[in-house]
Amino acid sequence: MRILVAMSGGVDSSTAAALLHEAGHDVVGVTLKLFNAQGTAASQGGRCCSPRDIEDARATAAAVGFPHYVLDETEAFSRGVIDDFVAEYRAGRTPNPCVRCNERLKFGPLVRFARAIGAATLATGHYARLEGGRLLRAVDREKDQSYFLFGVRPELLAQVRFPLGDLCKDDVRAAARRFHLPNCDKPDSQEICFIPDGDHRAFLEARGGAGRTGPIVDETGAQIGAHLGTHHFTVGQRRGLPAVGDRRFVVRIDPATGTVHTGPREALARQRLKVTDVRWLEAPPADGRVDVQIRHHGAANPAVITCADDGVTAVFDRAIDGGAPGQAAVFFRDEGVVGGGWIAPDSSGCL
Amino acid sequence: MQRGRIYLDHNATTPLRPEVRAAMAAAPWGNPSSVHAVGRQAREAVERSRREVATFLGCLPEEVIFTSGGTEGDNLAIRGLARGRHVVSSPLEHPAVKGALVGLAVTYLPVGPRGEIAVDDLRAALRPDTALVTLAAANHELGNVYPLEAFAAVAHQAGALFHTDAVQAAGRIPLDLRAVDAATISAHKLHGPPGVGALYLRRGLDIEPLMTGGHQERERRAGTENLPGIVGFGEACRLARIETAADRIGYLRAQLQRRLMDIPGARVHGDPQLPGTLNVGFDGADGQLVMVGLDLEGICVSTGSACTSGSLSPSPVLLALGLTAAAARQAVRFSLGRDTTEEDIDRAAEVTAQVVGRVRAAEAA
Repeated sequence: MRILVAMSGGVDSSTAAALLHEAGHDVVGVTLKLFNAQGTAASQGGRCCSPRDIEDARATAAAVGFPHYVLDETEAFSRGVIDDFVAEYRAGRTPNPCVRCNERLKFGPLVRFARAIGAATLATGHYARLEGGRLLRAVDREKDQSYFLFGVRPELLAQVRFPLGDLCKDDVRAAARRFHLPNCDKPDSQEICFIPDGDHRAFLEARGGAGRTGPIVDETGAQIGAHLGTHHFTVGQRRGLPAVGDRRFVVRIDPATGTVHTGPREALARQRLKVTDVRWLEAPPADGRVDVQIRHHGAANPAVITCADDGVTAVFDRAIDGGAPGQAAVFFRDEGVVGGGWIAPDSSGCL
Repeated sequence: MQRGRIYLDHNATTPLRPEVRAAMAAAPWGNPSSVHAVGRQAREAVERSRREVATFLGCLPEEVIFTSGGTEGDNLAIRGLARGRHVVSSPLEHPAVKGALVGLAVTYLPVGPRGEIAVDDLRAALRPDTALVTLAAANHELGNVYPLEAFAAVAHQAGALFHTDAVQAAGRIPLDLRAVDAATISAHKLHGPPGVGALYLRRGLDIEPLMTGGHQERERRAGTENLPGIVGFGEACRLARIETAADRIGYLRAQLQRRLMDIPGARVHGDPQLPGTLNVGFDGADGQLVMVGLDLEGICVSTGSACTSGSLSPSPVLLALGLTAAAARQAVRFSLGRDTTEEDIDRAAEVTAQVVGRVRAAEAA
């Protein structure tokens, strides 16, 4: 069976490809070229499955012995992911480009490519499982990436398989060494793929994503400082705030006035969240009971969701530290992804 | 399931002929600049090859400058002859020419929808300070062939020199360089080895070298000669001179064209007169996907110039013809060679029809 394997150049997707090849499949590798980076060594990585290094993917394919191609999606990535990232920051929100990439970019062209070459399915190195049409968390909870995948259209997911979903990271590393993959000891990186040096501010400022300058105020509205642009801040952040009195956190960002509102930790607490632009992979449960995850490595918190025309409201059993507007909120039921959306700006204020 | 590989990308490179390989294996070693016996032997081998290349081109041996290939030849001719002055060129040129033009004042000629370049447009573009006109003898993507004599005559009337990139033309169509001042050729496009080529430079013309630091090639190209490459190049030119497969290749190209045009929504790009070149597009089928689909069935083609493949930027050559970016991305280039057989063409046409159908279905989904 011909299988198209999306290869980032990282150890995970390379191992996925090698395992499928070993299992006797007619493996074809493809790497999406998403941006024009000056290729460097191991650090060209990403939190999700970014194009670390096209050369690593090519070397793996050559070493294992299957054809490999590069698909240039630079333009679409620039429009659909980078422009969105910049615009979101400018609007005072905290975007998640990996979710956007999976939602808008990656899977469409890859599934099309798979169909075009007569491949029965597309495999990626994501840590997630697909069973009976449900998108489930990976066996390795530390590596689980199902959070990133809620935005992928169900008809595309139906064409996909995740060979690493049942494996642990250590198994994958061991397999990579067994196959003598060129990148088997490549470190994971936590940076966003298109900002390999991790300097978000410089990246945003170079692309017109800088937010307004303005005051930093406390919970009474009294000014306690000033800042150089709202894009330096994310809700929940402590760094960069004036050291006055108790530990302070960014509670809210007002992009129109450039005001950064701060408060004590308790001010971050939210009983409810408004989630907009919701995608459903399954019908929402009748009782509304789900676990809501608002960060890649964050906990999933029990809540009841209710759907309205303008989005979904989640009411938590116990108040959580509220997420930043623009971040993805994903609804899980048991092990499965029910759906997800984006935390709305007007979430703040609902205590 | 996969049968033998079918290679239809001869405009990218051609297979080394066994005779050429044998000549290279038998080449002497030595530094041609050395005075001793070993050096003299090497020198003799270089000069024998130079005579073969000159005979093939119809020029004098001293008019042949050995280079590392087409890109160097284009750079040497353009930078070395223009010397910072005005140049006339076209948007259809190979990246090697485009690259060499960077930093110079260039007038790009208008291009017709099938890749035509009008002599009158060239005449109108020439200025009193124009030093050089550079236009390809045959286009690498389309296979169009251009009237060198007419171009050169117009250039000379205005006091400008005329250079042609003849990399795709040499060995494929008769090449008359009598009117031309400089011409670039490359060994690996005519079944010689990669990494070697020549610049024809008319006797008496002065050129500024790109590489200095040695007396080789009459002070015009420093560096110890690539002896095995040059010997292989000479043999490839000798073979290209004494036999031609142009008629047979032209016949096979016509067959392929007829078969491919039976596919609904197929079109030919340009006006191919180079016997082996056929650039086509299929409505609703991305060229890169068609190319990959063919590769997985053992058929090697390209989406354009090999130098720009791998990036999705549509071919500047096709855009210059007035194609939309979307249409330009549908381009697939088949280029045939002397090793191409009728069976290859049958199978290529049959598989292309299947692959195009599959790609269209995938894109429509």
